[in-house]
Amino acid sequence: MQVAATRIGGDVKKRIEMSGISKAFGGSVALKNVSFELLEGSVHALMGENGAGKSTLMKILAGVHQPDSGEIFRDGRAVTFATPKEALDFGISTVFQELSLLANLTIAENMFLGREPTLRFGTVDYTTMNRETTKALAELGLDLDPKTMVSELTIAERQFVEIAHGIKADASIFILDEPTAALNAADVEVLNRHIRRLRDEGKAIVYISHRMDEIFEICDMVTVLKDSELVATKPLAEMTPHSLIAMMVGRELKDLFPERNAEPGEPMLDVENFRISASSEPFSMTVGKGEIVGMAGLEGQGQQRFLRSLVGQFEPFGGKVSVRGKALKFPVSKDGGIRYLQSLGVGLVPEDRKEEGLFLTLSIGHNIAMGLHSRKSEFSLADGYGEKIRETMASMSVQASGPAELVSALSGGNQQKVLLGRYLAAGMSILLVEEPTRGVDIGAKSEIYRLLRDFANKGGAVVVLSRETIELIGLCDRLYVVHDDTIVSEMAAENATEHNILDAALSRQASQVRLETTP
Amino acid sequence: MNRTMKRLLTGKDSRQGRWFFALLIALAIIVWLGLTTERFLTSENLFNLVAQAMPLIITAIGMMLVVLVGGLDLSVGSVISFTTAILALGAPALISIPGVFALAACIGLINGLAVTRLNVHPIIATLSMQFIVLGITRILRPVSGGDVPQIVIDAVAGSFYGIPLPVFWGIVTVLIAWKIIHGSRFGLHLFAIGGGIASGTDEATHNFGVADKQKILLAYVGCSCFAALAGIFLAGRIVSGDPNVGLLFEMDAITAVAIGGTQLSGGVGSLHGTVIGALVMALLANGMNSANISAFVQTAIKGVILLLVVGLQSRKKMGL
Repeated sequence: MQVAATRIGGDVKKRIEMSGISKAFGGSVALKNVSFELLEGSVHALMGENGAGKSTLMKILAGVHQPDSGEIFRDGRAVTFATPKEALDFGISTVFQELSLLANLTIAENMFLGREPTLRFGTVDYTTMNRETTKALAELGLDLDPKTMVSELTIAERQFVEIAHGIKADASIFILDEPTAALNAADVEVLNRHIRRLRDEGKAIVYISHRMDEIFEICDMVTVLKDSELVATKPLAEMTPHSLIAMMVGRELKDLFPERNAEPGEPMLDVENFRISASSEPFSMTVGKGEIVGMAGLEGQGQQRFLRSLVGQFEPFGGKVSVRGKALKFPVSKDGGIRYLQSLGVGLVPEDRKEEGLFLTLSIGHNIAMGLHSRKSEFSLADGYGEKIRETMASMSVQASGPAELVSALSGGNQQKVLLGRYLAAGMSILLVEEPTRGVDIGAKSEIYRLLRDFANKGGAVVVLSRETIELIGLCDRLYVVHDDTIVSEMAAENATEHNILDAALSRQASQVRLETTP
Repeated sequence: MNRTMKRLLTGKDSRQGRWFFALLIALAIIVWLGLTTERFLTSENLFNLVAQAMPLIITAIGMMLVVLVGGLDLSVGSVISFTTAILALGAPALISIPGVFALAACIGLINGLAVTRLNVHPIIATLSMQFIVLGITRILRPVSGGDVPQIVIDAVAGSFYGIPLPVFWGIVTVLIAWKIIHGSRFGLHLFAIGGGIASGTDEATHNFGVADKQKILLAYVGCSCFAALAGIFLAGRIVSGDPNVGLLFEMDAITAVAIGGTQLSGGVGSLHGTVIGALVMALLANGMNSANISAFVQTAIKGVILLLVVGLQSRKKMGL
C-alpha cells in the first residue's frame, strides 16, 4: 500500500507549503511570518485561541484573503490565489466556520453553487445535481431530499450539508473550520469516518476545532498558533491534551473546570408537570441556590425548547413554574416574557450571541448597560453606569481597550463575557445559559466556567445546556438527561460519563416506567 | 395542509414568494370588472388590455432582475422616455434599434458600476441616473414629436392571423426572461446572491466562487435593456418620441414586482409572479378608468398600494 508507506516512511509528500505568511487588517496584525505545511494523507490540527490567526491563515489558503507577504508552494512551485474560485479550482475545498449556506436555495443548489453542471443552451442540469447530492448526503448517512430548501433544515442538518458540500468537491486539500460546532457526538463520529476515508485516499485535511477529544481522535499532526505567531508543529503522538493546552495558552492549565459546590441551598427554580408539547411526557425539575444544573442528551431533544418556553420564546403545552417559591404566570407571553422574567431575576443567555445576544455595532459599555436600563421605566433618564460597567468588565476580565470599544471587534470569548456581564451587572439571580462557550477558545472557556461558578457560589442558580457533553459534566453539579421532549434521567455530574448519558437518553423505555411510578 | 399548499399560501420556504395572492387578486379584479363593466370580457378589450400592460410587463421583468439581487432601478422610466426620443430622431431602424439597446446597456453598466464598485446605494445610484437620462432626453426632445421608424409602428400595431402583435411581444419577452431567470446559471446565481444579501451572508456566494459583482452588474444592464425594449414598444404605440412617456414607470414596475411576491430584500421571486403583478396593475388602471377615477387620484392610490404591498412583506429590520 503506497498510502500506508507514505504515512510511515520519512519520505512523505508535501501537498502544500505556506512559507513566511504575514497579514494585517488595517492596523491589527493577524499573522506574523507563519509557515505551515500539509502532508499527503494526514489530518492536520490547527489550534490556538480565538484570534490567534487560524481562520486568517486558512482563508489565505482558500483564496479569500491575500497575504501581505509570504508564499504558497505547490510541488515546489509558487502559486497565488486571487479569488476563492481559483483556490477551489486548484483543489482546495473549505468548510467555513460560519454557516454559509443560502437559505433560499435547495440543498442541491447550495452544493453545486458556483459550478453547476449545465445542459445545452446553458440550462442548469438539475437531474445530475439532485442525483449527485442525494449520493453525497447518503454517504454521510443523511436521508434528505436534495430539493429541500435550506431554510427548512435544522442547524445540525445545515452543518452536515455544509460538510457534504466541502468534501464532495473533487479536491486534494480540505479545510474544515470548526465543522462540529453544531453537531452531537453521534454525528461527529460519522464525520470522523469520512475524514479518515479522505486521509486514507491520500488527501490532506486541515482540521480546526476547540474540542480536545476530537483532535486526539482524528488528527496526526498539530500546529499551534498563538498571538498571530507560529508556536510549533508536532506529531500529535508526542502530545497530551495537557501539553497541547499548555502550548496554546502558554501556561499550565491545572484544571479547566472550577470546583463543584457541595451543598445546594433552597430551590430557586421549580418546574412541575411540564409538558413541552401535547404528545410529550410531563416532567419536573428543580434548581437550588448555588447549583449549576445541566440539560444533557442528544441534540435537539427539547432542551432548548424547554429553556425558551420559560421566558416565553416558545409556547409549551403546559406546566407549573415557580421562581424562588413564587408561581409564574404561565405560559409566559412572547412579547413581554424576557422582561417579565428579568424583573424576577431570571436571565436567558441565548445561544447565538451575535444574532440574539449582543448588539455588535454598539460599544461594550452600551451592551452591558442594556441589562441595567431594561429594568428602568420607559421615560426615566439614563443613569451613568460608567462605574458599574468598569466593575463588570474587570470582574469578567474582558480584554479590550475600554468600555467604548465596539463589541464586534472583540474575540468570541470576550464577546461571550460581555454578554454574561450584562446579566450579572443587572443583578440576575437565575441564569438560563445556552451554549456558554460556543466558538470560544480554551483560555476563555475556563474563565467563563469560573465566572458561572462564582455566580452560583454567590447564591445564584444556573441552568446550562450545551452540545459539549464534557463541558456539562465538568461544569455542572447535577445533570438532567433530556430525550424526546422530556427528562428521562437525573444524575450527579460527578458520576456522569458521556457513555452513561447516551445510555440514559436512548433507553427511554425503561425510564418511562420509572417516571410513571414517581409520585 | 400539505407542504405545497403551505408554500403557495404563505410563501414560506419557497423561492417564488407569495405570487399566489397576486393571482387571486387578478382573478378577483377580472370577475369584478366582468360583472360591472359592459364589454370588458370582449376579445377586443382584452387584447387592448394586453397592449396597455405590455410596457409595464417588460419593464417589471427587467426590474425584477435587480430586485432579486437586493437592488432597485429608479432610472427605467427615464430610459423608456430616452429610448422613444432616440427612435424619433429619424435614423433608420437598422441603426436606431441596436443603438437604443447599446445606449441602455451603457446606462445599466454605469448603474451597476456605481452599485458594485463605488458601493453607492442602488436607490441613490439609479435616482441620479434617472435625472441624468431625463435631462439628456429633454435636451434631445423638449416636447413630444419626431418620426419613429415605420417597422417599429408596424410591429406594435399589426396583427398576425387575427392575433394582435403585442401578444407575441409578450410571449417572446416572457420566453427570454424565463430563460434568463429560471433556466440559466445566471438566474440561479441572482437568487443566490440576493439570498445572501437578504440574510446577511453575502460572503457565501463569493466564497463559493460565484462572481457576484459581475452578476449584479449584468442584472442592471439587463434591467436597462428591458426598459429599452419597453421604450421601443411605447414608441410604436404613441408614434413619436416623448420625454414624459416613461414618467413614474419605475413606481409601477416596482409595485408590480412587489405585488407578484418578489421580496424587495432580494433572493425570492418569480417571473410568473411579476407578470401577474404587472397585469394586476394594468387591470386596476383599467378598472379605475372605467369607474371614472381621476388620474391624480389613481397616482395616489398606486402609492398606497406600493406602501401596503411592501409593508406587508416580512422583514426584521428597516430595509427594502
